[in-house]
Amino acid sequence: MSIRYGLLALLSRGPRHGYQLRQEFEASTGATWPLNIGQVYTTLSRLERDGLIRQGEADEQGRVVYEITEAGRAEVERWFGTPVTPADRPRDELVIKLAMAVATCPDALKVIQAQRTASMRAMQELTRAKRDTASPAQRLVLDSMIFQVEAEQRWLDHCEAVLREEQS
Amino acid sequence: MTVVRLANVSRSYGEVHALRNVDLEVAAGRLVAVMGPSGSGKSTLLNLAGGLDLPTSGTVTLEGVDLAAVKDLAALRRRSVGYVFQDLNLIPSLTAVENVMLPRELDGVRARQARAEALAVLEEVGLAEAAGRFPDELSGGQRQRVAIARALVGERRLVLADEPTGALDTRTGDEILQLLRGRADAGAAVLLVTHESRYAAWADRVVFLRDGEIADSALLEEVR
Repeated sequence: MSIRYGLLALLSRGPRHGYQLRQEFEASTGATWPLNIGQVYTTLSRLERDGLIRQGEADEQGRVVYEITEAGRAEVERWFGTPVTPADRPRDELVIKLAMAVATCPDALKVIQAQRTASMRAMQELTRAKRDTASPAQRLVLDSMIFQVEAEQRWLDHCEAVLREEQS
Repeated sequence: MTVVRLANVSRSYGEVHALRNVDLEVAAGRLVAVMGPSGSGKSTLLNLAGGLDLPTSGTVTLEGVDLAAVKDLAALRRRSVGYVFQDLNLIPSLTAVENVMLPRELDGVRARQARAEALAVLEEVGLAEAAGRFPDELSGGQRQRVAIARALVGERRLVLADEPTGALDTRTGDEILQLLRGRADAGAAVLLVTHESRYAAWADRVVFLRDGEIADSALLEEVR
């Protein structure tokens, strides 16, 4: 769903062809969300079917250029105006694993520490990527991922504190 | 090259074992972060690494010198070690540049040269224009940058930072880490204590302390 609105938002800045859209989408999401060109064209044809974009003139290299319609602009505006609500989360493997570890495993603290070390490594990688990028949009995408890992770490700290209290 | 090494270091205060059998080294060019809940021994470790405290057993070596054998620890600390604490300890009656000059003047460096060095470091931390202001005329983030400048002046080889992001917002906190990271990349050894994983993540290695012992550590793979 977000690819659809992402492409639509890019088209609201002016007409673009498929490859250009893919490139700009990846650039603004810090390449954390790779798209294949097939996805891009499938999405474009649905947007066209729904009257949100139309095909314009082909450019000098014969590539089809898409442009946004009035209905498309209204749709982008509506999208930005609607907050995202957490959807029904798929069952989280980490949460199940830790719940099981606390219930059944004498070494649950080790399970927690192993997870903490792994997620710290992930956060170190994300931070390095953030240091290496000059694009504010990419940095914010990476920050979002860092905040998510941080939340996981805080939850792990909480699990450990509760478990230690239980054990003492 | 190793700048500071803790070998089998323990520290007890009476019956309390603050630190047990800790091995840790920080090489030039590296940023190492220490994480752990309060009471896990983080600050004890930092104080031992900087020669503010001595171990009950084991050795701490700074640039190849066993700290237990050093007569004038204060002089060695001033020459080689820069400290950044959560409480900034800036002197309110001195301007930013005077605060930064202070450790150099204590080292016996002439005022004129100390001022030139201090201005250069303030420029490095992006505060050249605030050199003449007093601490209470600066924002929290600016004050912390002055404190960092004071820790960096005089080319110290080891920088120790204890919760340097204190009460700062995440953007300002990131700027502080950017500075510490930059100093490591320029060749210093930096040891950072923090309880916030987002700041620890700037490090090459993150060490987890539990009850005075190293429980695990996360190492960032080198980029090949």
